[in-house]
Amino acid sequence: MVNNKKTFGEWFGSRKIQRRLVIFTFMFVPLLLLLMFTYIPFGKMVQFSFYNMKYIGKRNFVGLKNYVEVFNRPEIFKSLFVSVYYMGGAVLQLALALFFATLMVFKVKGESVFKATMFFPYLISGIAIGFIFKFFYARGYVLDSIVALFGVAPENIPYWLQDTSINNFSLAATSVWRYTGQNMILFLGAMMSVDADLYEAASLDGANKWHQFKYIILPSIKSIVVLNLILSISGSLSAFEPPYVITNGTMGTGTYFVIMNRLAHENQKVGLASAMAIVLLVIIILCTVAQKLFFAYVFDDGTDDESKAAVRRKKKQNRQNRGLK
Amino acid sequence: MKCKRLMALGMTAVMAMSIAGCGGSGDAGADTTGASAGSEASGDTGAESAGSGESASSGVPTLDAITVGEDYKDLTASIKVLTNRTDIVDTVYKGYAEQFMELYPNITVEYEGITDYEESVTLRLTAGDWGDIMFIPTSVAKNELSTYFMPLGSFDAMKDTYNFLEEKSFENVVYGIANGGTASGIAYNKKVWADAGITTVPKTPEEFLEDLKIIKDKTDAVPLYTNFAAGWTMGAWDAYTDCAATGDPDFKNNMVHMSNPFAKRDDLTGPYAVYYILYEAVARGLIEDDPASTDWESSKGAINRGEIATMVLGSWCVEQFKEAGDNPDDIGYMPFPISVDGKQYAGSGGNYSFGINVQASDENKIASLLYMKWLIEESSIYMDEGSIPARKDAEYPSVLEAFDGVELLSNNQAPAGEEDLFDDVNNESEVGINNNDYPDCEILEAALYGTRTLDEIMDEWNQKWTSAQESLGVEVNQ
Repeated sequence: MVNNKKTFGEWFGSRKIQRRLVIFTFMFVPLLLLLMFTYIPFGKMVQFSFYNMKYIGKRNFVGLKNYVEVFNRPEIFKSLFVSVYYMGGAVLQLALALFFATLMVFKVKGESVFKATMFFPYLISGIAIGFIFKFFYARGYVLDSIVALFGVAPENIPYWLQDTSINNFSLAATSVWRYTGQNMILFLGAMMSVDADLYEAASLDGANKWHQFKYIILPSIKSIVVLNLILSISGSLSAFEPPYVITNGTMGTGTYFVIMNRLAHENQKVGLASAMAIVLLVIIILCTVAQKLFFAYVFDDGTDDESKAAVRRKKKQNRQNRGLK
Repeated sequence: MKCKRLMALGMTAVMAMSIAGCGGSGDAGADTTGASAGSEASGDTGAESAGSGESASSGVPTLDAITVGEDYKDLTASIKVLTNRTDIVDTVYKGYAEQFMELYPNITVEYEGITDYEESVTLRLTAGDWGDIMFIPTSVAKNELSTYFMPLGSFDAMKDTYNFLEEKSFENVVYGIANGGTASGIAYNKKVWADAGITTVPKTPEEFLEDLKIIKDKTDAVPLYTNFAAGWTMGAWDAYTDCAATGDPDFKNNMVHMSNPFAKRDDLTGPYAVYYILYEAVARGLIEDDPASTDWESSKGAINRGEIATMVLGSWCVEQFKEAGDNPDDIGYMPFPISVDGKQYAGSGGNYSFGINVQASDENKIASLLYMKWLIEESSIYMDEGSIPARKDAEYPSVLEAFDGVELLSNNQAPAGEEDLFDDVNNESEVGINNNDYPDCEILEAALYGTRTLDEIMDEWNQKWTSAQESLGVEVNQ
């Protein structure tokens, strides 16, 4: 008579349990960290957004009042328009990054020096960059001296930070400077995976560099381009460091985040600021979805087998075939 | 639990004995117990008996009852002090700690300097385990003081000895004692003003603005440097709106119930007059060329060298300006140019207040009390920082000699039950007097770009103030 009942040791040592145990223990720490530092604080923020509260002191439940206030405050939505400057910057930054990455994918002398130099700004902390540019743009400092070298009279040099028609461009430029190199490296990485024989074959067929870029490189890296664009656009909506450090959000440079920070920390309206954060999250989600949909159509030229247009065409053909029978 | 209570009893006994020892006769101990019993029996203010009862049961004496250099000479403790002065924490402050440790060899005092003080400390405060002494951040409302800080004594008993107690007291219990105080006025370079031919200090907003114009015409100095880019330097203008602009120590308390406190007054006093000076100075081109790119650190040297004539900041800045260059004697400090019925006033208020962690052990509490009392009474901190001493009978630093004939006032304590009302209305309205710099920045922007008049801005502030009063249900006197 064989005893079918396993001892605990046998049960514990069995492959199935061991596998589960390994999965669980490996996942436990990252999941715990994720929960502790992302989801629980986020849940708390959602909760705060329904309260009228300061950081310390008693909290009153006010329902949706904070959300209503977010939509009734003109300065909050005005601040979203400031993000448009950063979005413009983001597009410029992607174009520049694509340009430099393409240059470097073909053999260039001193390639690694260029790469390192362009990537370097990304390694500096945002606050430090803020201080660098605070002095860069200051009256009579770096930029003014450079412009003066080209013979511009001092009284014709604009006030980079004070003049409301250009100060947002000045600030957006700092973020272009910071992220171009990083985008370039990402693009370059994707471009490396393109088979070099393709360029050779294309040039034999008479394709110039522009054709190679348009028909070989761009289609191969489109997913990373879309990803970068989506990240840059949502990053523009939440731009914070340049305006906060350089101008403190004064003189019409206050972005959504700067206003949110001011309400939360200076006026102690934590509930309202949390509601603003949730609203921004919704806006970012909407923007991302809209972009996804947009690019699904823009890049869908029907040449890919999996592309939706091709699938639709095939279906249509099938239907017609069936109709003929 | 029982053990704790026993320990507390033991401590109380030790304390009573030490007090008796100080008094030099057994009667003193009996007297104090008699007095406290008497006050309880007569049903004195509940808060006071609660305060003294609490301190007695935990065995920690009050600040006024402890004698530095005599009591607790054999106490062993190690305390940590948080400070915002990261620039001198390892030099000057460390020096104070070393001097104290010579007096009390068994107590170790350690400093921790914190950048971005207000925000970091507010967060650490809620965690409880932050150290023993800190500068109480402004975010702690008065009714929350007892949650985080131990009582230092009763307000009535200490108010004749120390300045600025009102700021950190609640229901007759003192929780924080100011690290000295400042008088509100204007820092100026005496030499520049003399070079421009100005011999008397201005007493009204118009006189001040005319003097600035003379400085602009006759010298190369920037008449008024706003330090706009730093932000907090703009918020500094708020400090003049109460006592200095009105001569009324109750103005801040009344403001809560006032309809339209920012309205223009015929004699050009009150908050409007303060912002009038700022607005007009900008509009008349009497400030720096590009406010968006000012730099606070280099402005200190510039006023020392005479490249800047005037800066509107509290008196604490004077020492820093003096140290910033070779001409310390050129730096002067004048009262704010507003006269109420021909008399000038200067608001004087406390700096950051020291508070002691309510969750610290009794030994650490006592050691903290000793260090705190030594710092505010025996150390050279006020001469070093050029601020008004915490003790009322101490000598004023030389900086404030220019305030001859100017009455120093400090805001009265808010009436019972309204301690938080100003903060509440102030935050709710987002006018942010003394805590939000942005509205002050908006005044400069409006004047610089010519987008709005001062009257429009003040009307807006009045409206915000009114709607905050409405939403908080504050009674408004017409």
